[in-house]
Amino acid sequence: MKERSGYKWLMYGVVAIVLLLPFGKSFGDTTGKVIIFNAGSLTIPFANMEKAFEGKYPKVDIIREAAGSRKCARKITDLKKPCDIMASADYTVIDQLLIPAYADWNIRFATNRLVLCYTNKSKYAKEVNTQNWYEILLKKGVVWGHSDPNLDPCGYRSVMVLQLAEKYYKIPGLYQRLIDNRPKANIRPKSVELVALLQTGNMDYAWEYRSVAVQHELKFVELPDQINLGNYKYDTFYKKAIVKVTGKKPGTFLKKKGKSCTYGITLLKNAPNTQATTAFLQYMLDPQGGLKILKEMGQPPFIPCRVPTAEMKARLPKSLRDLVEVRE
Amino acid sequence: MRREPFFWITISCGLVIMAFILLPLIEMMTAPSLSMLKETIKDKDVVRSIWLSIYTAGLAALISFVLGTPLAYLLARRNFMGKRLVEGIIDLPIVIPHPVVGIAILSVAGRNHWIGQLLSELGIRVMGSVTGIVIVLTFVGMPFYLNAAKNGFESISPRLEKVSRSLGASMFSTFFRITFPLAWRSMLIGIIMCCARAISEFGAVVIVAYHPMIAPVLIYERFEAYGLKYSQPVAVWLVSLCLALFLTLRILTLGKTREV
Repeated sequence: MKERSGYKWLMYGVVAIVLLLPFGKSFGDTTGKVIIFNAGSLTIPFANMEKAFEGKYPKVDIIREAAGSRKCARKITDLKKPCDIMASADYTVIDQLLIPAYADWNIRFATNRLVLCYTNKSKYAKEVNTQNWYEILLKKGVVWGHSDPNLDPCGYRSVMVLQLAEKYYKIPGLYQRLIDNRPKANIRPKSVELVALLQTGNMDYAWEYRSVAVQHELKFVELPDQINLGNYKYDTFYKKAIVKVTGKKPGTFLKKKGKSCTYGITLLKNAPNTQATTAFLQYMLDPQGGLKILKEMGQPPFIPCRVPTAEMKARLPKSLRDLVEVRE
Repeated sequence: MRREPFFWITISCGLVIMAFILLPLIEMMTAPSLSMLKETIKDKDVVRSIWLSIYTAGLAALISFVLGTPLAYLLARRNFMGKRLVEGIIDLPIVIPHPVVGIAILSVAGRNHWIGQLLSELGIRVMGSVTGIVIVLTFVGMPFYLNAAKNGFESISPRLEKVSRSLGASMFSTFFRITFPLAWRSMLIGIIMCCARAISEFGAVVIVAYHPMIAPVLIYERFEAYGLKYSQPVAVWLVSLCLALFLTLRILTLGKTREV
């Protein structure tokens, strides 16, 4: 009988140790889960960063959820979903929806811009360049397209580039003439679907984000900063492009104003796991770490990353301060 | 009268299947209000897309009928080397994932392929055109017609044809005067099946042609842009249409069983 109860205690001991083991682990330095909400266009670079970071810190598990930037913010503010880091394709989303209630700061870390993609087999592939791209898009028989402005932000941004081109090159009527040479049939729901049309030779030119062009190894024409929606310095000029997209129900519309594609990242105030989280941010904002991956994937990073005021810089975790500069 | 357990098994399985098919559909069909449905059918884009769906699916069925009937007859009457292979190839469009069908068709129709070059010289465009939609729908619908027509021909005794031939009728006149009158019902069922399959196609069409929009593409666009509320009424109209098609099919098969 006595022997039996000794055995019982031994079993309790084993069970207790097994149960406590996972807790013991988390007392180490950098462990645990880091939850990241990221804009859809960051999915591939963030997946690569996750691999590299988890190689360095095997005890950290990075969990990513990709969605539209606004949807990501709504998941935090409306649905109260737990999240440590939020990376947005539009840095103003963080300013507008998360600061000051959910976050203290907003680091601008990368840009993206619109480019005109083509392949070797596209018509006039040998001649097209930054100066003559719109003349080629005006030629009869050249098939070019963009994604649906009502369904895909890349779609209305492509249309904005055309509007800005008319103003920048000072050619009245250019926008309308370009649109007239782009039959509705050349529109696709999402911009990535245009890639298949280029590659099968059904389309000569397609508007894409630079990152998409690089990731799909397409040739592309770069445009001047004034019209490519890639430099926030020109935000006041970009604002002059206005595109009508469908509203909440059929027959209603709302207007989208031009704005640069500037990516922002922030740490949520009540982030459940701050230590591993700052370690990830430190890696991500490092020119030799995450920023290098972004660059390889076609999303030009800011080196160093930027915050708008010295006051905001002071609010950053100490380990991140050396990685950013104050710049409007 | 006491029923055997077998009877109850058939009844209960039948009920489960009916519920499985009908519950989600009824849920969807009853979601939009009547006023929504009325408003939707007044929408020119909706009417245009549903009409385009019927018209292109009908054309696909017509092409399958004209080109497919001789092959179906051949497969029903003759044994030859590689027949199994031909039958397997005919069933391929049923198995291939739909977007793959779309990309495959585009890759033949593009500038990178000689057929695409030929087409563009003739001024025929596949991408984003009604031609493209009909090609896709024929591709996915053809197997249904071929199989139904083949089964129809197989069920007619070759002896009847031989009698006709021995009395001096040509192959052509034998086919039109003996075979066709006996097999037309199966052929019609094949046409309806092909049509119904074509109307429901989305994945392959959206790759080849987003505009002009057939009904399933419009449903997708409405769902993405405005949400469920505005896509469901279009779906209700389309499902009602398919229901009408299949009822016709059932009525026709009923006629056949009575005859035999």
